[in-house]
Amino acid sequence: MVQEVFRLSGIGYSYGEGYALKGISFSAMQGESLGILGANGSGKSTLLKIMNGLVFPTSGEMRFLGEVLNEVSLKGPFQRCFRERIGFVFPEPDVQLFSPTVFDEVAFGPLQLELPEDEVRRRVGALLDMLGISALKERPPYTLSSGEKKKVAIAAVLSTNPDVLLLDEPTNGLDPRTQVWLFELLQGLKDLKKTIVMATHDLSLVGDLSDRVIVIGEDHGIAADGKADKVLRDKDLLLKANIIHEHTHRHGDIIHMHSHGPFSTHDEHE
Amino acid sequence: MAEVRLPDWLKESRGEPCLIGKGGSHGFLDKTLANISAFMRETLSSGAAERPGALQGLSPKARIAGFLLLIIACSITGRAFMLIGALVIMAVAMLMSNVSAASLAKRVAPSLFFTSVIAFPVFFDFITPGASVFGVSVSGYSISVTKEGAAIALFLVLRVGVMVALASLLLLTTRQADFFKGLKELKVPHLFVTALYMTFRYVFVLLKTAEDAVLARKSRTIATGRLSEAQRWTASRIALILKKSMSYAEEVNMAMISRGFDGRLRTLKAPGMEGRDYLWLFLTLFFLFLSFGF
Repeated sequence: MVQEVFRLSGIGYSYGEGYALKGISFSAMQGESLGILGANGSGKSTLLKIMNGLVFPTSGEMRFLGEVLNEVSLKGPFQRCFRERIGFVFPEPDVQLFSPTVFDEVAFGPLQLELPEDEVRRRVGALLDMLGISALKERPPYTLSSGEKKKVAIAAVLSTNPDVLLLDEPTNGLDPRTQVWLFELLQGLKDLKKTIVMATHDLSLVGDLSDRVIVIGEDHGIAADGKADKVLRDKDLLLKANIIHEHTHRHGDIIHMHSHGPFSTHDEHE
Repeated sequence: MAEVRLPDWLKESRGEPCLIGKGGSHGFLDKTLANISAFMRETLSSGAAERPGALQGLSPKARIAGFLLLIIACSITGRAFMLIGALVIMAVAMLMSNVSAASLAKRVAPSLFFTSVIAFPVFFDFITPGASVFGVSVSGYSISVTKEGAAIALFLVLRVGVMVALASLLLLTTRQADFFKGLKELKVPHLFVTALYMTFRYVFVLLKTAEDAVLARKSRTIATGRLSEAQRWTASRIALILKKSMSYAEEVNMAMISRGFDGRLRTLKAPGMEGRDYLWLFLTLFFLFLSFGF
């Protein structure tokens, strides 16, 4: 039976007089690949941080594997189970890569979870080999390129073998080759029935990888929640949520007006 | 979507060529920041740590402890020949560790210069009375260098030079990762080690932010502004970097918690000490013992 991993009920997050999220309710099942779309400042990153128990909602309730997730529950033995099962890839690798060397960085998570040292070394070695970054293992992370940093950040998260992966803007600042590499890796992890929750602007990545898409509107609430191909074809919805835009350009004497999105075509002449 | 209408002035192009006039000087701010950045990179880099050598072969714990003992010995001794002894030990260690004298001298020179400036007045009789070595007299006022003053000032410069050189040799031959591992093994409180490491790690990120801010301003500067304006701008950038560093601290903390950090930092155990580590510790401990006697 497929297990429910997350259940969010009426989640809100406010700071001072403003708010980042309002009345967010959805659930995510084991092995599901979920894309979260929204314009800048819509609250996608805050939502992922709430799902990772890094910040706590100011209203509503969140459950992980049926257990309520809050500051109190994360102080007890539940913390280890939760941290072991969820990996969070931050949008800016520099924030995530704080250890002196690449090896130490990848070993950080398993060591905090008190895995035996032999097992930690084995996991780190295997991951560095798999991602083709073994040659970097003694390098300080700040000396790496953006693509290398992203690979190390992902290796650092995978080293705890999480069941759930939360990725915030995973293709940010990556060159095309690294983007393809990332897509193939995520596809492989999806095939392993890992739950993948991705907040991104990259509609093609969501289109290729996500089973389901949640759109956060500019009012910080859920504007749509449905199958990926259905949501991504709803041009009006995506335009309203400021995820795609329309523009006009010229091909010889013909002037086109069309939207920018994964399923847009040139048949929208004006 | 509404069409973007460009204002007419944006459509005008400049046809005339740029005249090359008399060049100005480099900006004070970008020069200072570039120098700070280069100095930090140079000082904090462990250039020789990857090369094979005697010091590199020691365990980080023994290496740090040994250098610490030598530095303590230099700080408590009152005899110049003990300092010269430390200098000899350091020179031998340097040669056996493939460290060039030039890279060490580059790190020691700034502190020697500043210590010499501070110690300079001590040479003279108005600070240190004693037997005059030579002096000058102008309009009834005389000033002379005293033997005692020279001895004190030179001793101070020598002491600082040797201690800085020892610390620099340690940093040059120790990878950052090993340095922090060594501190942890020496039971330095983990909070202190973590804070020190984070400072090391993010000082470059923040320096880069500052450099970028200066470059962005430079790219839009077409005339020399007023000093007060530059001061205001600098203050605002300092505030921005402070804000950024606080935001970084918060995000890094979240990234650590996300991967299981619960306030107690766990790291891989360093390999145990070997014969050469004990020999190094014995030698440095013996040197410390001698410094009590002399």
